[in-house]
Amino acid sequence: MVELKHVKALSSMAQSCSGIGDCRTAYRQALGWYGVCPMVDHTPGFEPYYARGKIRAIKGMLEGKFEPSEGFARVMYHCTTCGACKAVCHVSGVDQITWPTSKYIDHTRLFEAVRADLVELGLGPMPRHREILEWAKREHNPYMERHKDKLRWASGRELKSRADTLFFTGCTGPYRMPGVCQDVYDVLAAAGVNFAVSPDEWCCGSVALRVGDRKLAESLARHNLEVFEKAGAKRVVTHCAGCYRTLKKDYPEIIGELPFEVLHVTELLAVLVEDGKLDLAEGELTVTYHDPCHLGRHCEVYDEPRQLINSVPGVKLVEMKRNRSGALCCGAGGGVKSAFPELALSIAKERLAQARETGAQLILSACPFCERNLSDAGAVASPLRLQVEDVVSFLKNQLKKK
Amino acid sequence: MGEVLRALEDAVGSDYVSVDDFVLYTYSRGIEGALEEVMPEYVVRPGSTDEVSRVVKVANKYKVPIVPRGGGCCLMGGSKPIEKGGIVIDMTRMNRLLDINFEAMTVSVECGITWAKLNTVLFEKGYYTGTLGPGSGMSATVGGGLSHHSVGGGGATKYGTCSEHCVALEVVLPQGDVVQTGSNASVYIKEPFCRLGLGPDLLSIFLGDNGIFGIKTKATLEIFPRPEYHECKTFVVENPGDINVAKIWLEWRKMGDLGIYDSQYLPPLTVVAYSGLLTEFPFIPAWKGIDKGILWYTIEAYTEDELEEKVRLADGAVKRHGGEELGEKIEDGNIARWHYEKHGFWQNWHALWNIAGPGCVPCSTEHHVPIHRMPDMFRAFEKWEEENRSLLEKAGAFSGVSTTILCGHTTVEVDSGLVVWDRPELRSLNKQLWISQMHMVIKNGGMPYMTGELYSQALVDAAAFPEPYFELLRTLKRTLDPNRILSPGKYRL
Repeated sequence: MVELKHVKALSSMAQSCSGIGDCRTAYRQALGWYGVCPMVDHTPGFEPYYARGKIRAIKGMLEGKFEPSEGFARVMYHCTTCGACKAVCHVSGVDQITWPTSKYIDHTRLFEAVRADLVELGLGPMPRHREILEWAKREHNPYMERHKDKLRWASGRELKSRADTLFFTGCTGPYRMPGVCQDVYDVLAAAGVNFAVSPDEWCCGSVALRVGDRKLAESLARHNLEVFEKAGAKRVVTHCAGCYRTLKKDYPEIIGELPFEVLHVTELLAVLVEDGKLDLAEGELTVTYHDPCHLGRHCEVYDEPRQLINSVPGVKLVEMKRNRSGALCCGAGGGVKSAFPELALSIAKERLAQARETGAQLILSACPFCERNLSDAGAVASPLRLQVEDVVSFLKNQLKKK
Repeated sequence: MGEVLRALEDAVGSDYVSVDDFVLYTYSRGIEGALEEVMPEYVVRPGSTDEVSRVVKVANKYKVPIVPRGGGCCLMGGSKPIEKGGIVIDMTRMNRLLDINFEAMTVSVECGITWAKLNTVLFEKGYYTGTLGPGSGMSATVGGGLSHHSVGGGGATKYGTCSEHCVALEVVLPQGDVVQTGSNASVYIKEPFCRLGLGPDLLSIFLGDNGIFGIKTKATLEIFPRPEYHECKTFVVENPGDINVAKIWLEWRKMGDLGIYDSQYLPPLTVVAYSGLLTEFPFIPAWKGIDKGILWYTIEAYTEDELEEKVRLADGAVKRHGGEELGEKIEDGNIARWHYEKHGFWQNWHALWNIAGPGCVPCSTEHHVPIHRMPDMFRAFEKWEEENRSLLEKAGAFSGVSTTILCGHTTVEVDSGLVVWDRPELRSLNKQLWISQMHMVIKNGGMPYMTGELYSQALVDAAAFPEPYFELLRTLKRTLDPNRILSPGKYRL
């Protein structure tokens, strides 16, 4: 029987699934649930495409009922690791009544563990992931770009090498959405934040972790730790939800207690706006907000982005039916966008349709990866075309001209 | 295999047929605790009635059995193969809400829609299906619920089982023909509204049939306006709780329509378990220290005055039999309010499956009894547990009644069964205990409704059906399904 050490360590999670299957498509009006797993309606939809079936299949594999195969691996990578399944797993909805199952199972952790096993067995990750990870080993980013080009976005902006605050730019921003990096820089500067940006930062390792390459993730994390120490950072701020989750939740598991604080830029800006550090002009716009999974469900940052939006006078925030812990994933995470791009776009189109229903003129989010996928879907689905923007870019546009 | 696979791919498209071992494995069981996994040979996910019909015709041509499956939530092995091989037909792709008719007060759906999805849409329009399906209604489908006469998802006290309100049903018969039943049996009835008429009620043979007579593809259900007012109360009842609660429920029944939407009784052991004394996590900390049973109700009304009067009458009966009200808030332990206002589709007993930790699973023996026979059934369980004590200890299993639900103001659904450890070395013993308890229930006059594999076979093995009745069942089956395609093995057919 094949050794599955990562999953075996979590076998009690697999044992804990009662199999009731709310993780497929639970609806609960009182809690704002209107569906759960993004995979169900965008794939062939057999049991192993959503959490109950994945867990059951993992359990069967642990019991030696079948051997892992390429087909098994392919379906295990059909998951954005959005965590919506965990968010509904026997959740009672009130503090006074608790359910045990969701305390026993961390679905995302289990699914990432099976991917780690698949990588070690040579069955994972998916072919496109392998190309990306090979590139990341050489050039430290998953976008097939040269590391030396990472700071192109900063052209004309002064970059400090040391400061208490370090702006961790990630990869999607610098290489694919440079405008967002520029806007983060400009808004932090406008608020009077003294911050550094390191030319030596590497990919945070999120991509490697999500698809199961833990060795690469660890080497990236250890390098970045040195960079943060060299910059004298007491707090690391990032605008990318994926980087944020990785730095905040995964780094401590990989390298132990962190000698610095990790903040999402919206957390920092919410405080700065509260303190009156940003002077915002009135807007006339109805917007909606898409909760990135890594920021929301994974790290429970729901309020700060909304506080920022609501801090702009005249702007009306209307919620999508699925929001906060019930939000539908954009479809990009967990290596889905790179391995199965059509699937990622298909899910994003569903999310765009939900945004359309609100009557909003603009979708805001707080993750360049979500924004990119939603924008890509908008481009291919013209009736759903709706401008997508980062919350920070939106704030920048509302800064009063001096 | 190749020929069948190609034919199935022709029927539903290659994306929606799987023969992968890891996929087949996930369809080898439902959520029952102690049954062997039985692998199908194919799983298909049809997207239309026509595709279902084509799959059934392929199955007949090649003599391959089929098990229909909704949300895969059956507790008795009803949604997995009994005999190795065959086709599991996963109906969850057919999940559209087709029409809400506010004049005829009906909703038409594809049978793969979940009860929760359907009722969420209806709630938003001020309606519901009355009974909200089974306790697993967030994943269980309308087709599965109708196949089991499900209750437990809310509304059973007022509206009875979910199948009572089905007025039209489209069914793919075991040889692939499509039949319209209920109102839709007449081509002149354009809006289904009632199933009783047009001669014998042929729709009903497909209700509670556990998938042996056909595959439900579309259903029309009655809908009801959701009343504006409600009250939710929870009481501690004096021991012996089952006797006192039976008296309360009988009194309520004799008072006529009290608008009681739902009422449940939780015996002392369940209350203790919920309060967290036996477990790692408390479910309802407010119940800590209570060593008696709990009774709760939700009453619905269309005006404040009506609500006040109905609550007064209902409370009077509770108090006459020693019931003591807990506080009105959820944090006071008012589980009724949590059910109605927060949970929506409840599953309080499902959490018990993990009560003692990972691997702890249910072997349900749930069934109906008349209200006045509820205490007798409790005693029958106590006797059975005494007789089987050494085996229960050997298995490390718990036995008993976790909850009872007042259904249609006339019967009680007794949520009884075992909680066992899902370990290969214990499966045989677990199954032995499970079957033994089923036989005890049947012989004590309990009426199983979700029969699936094990209860359906227990009914036959316990000789519950006299020969003329069983012969009628066999004749119907032979006539409709001469090739023994649909759900072979259920009822030993």
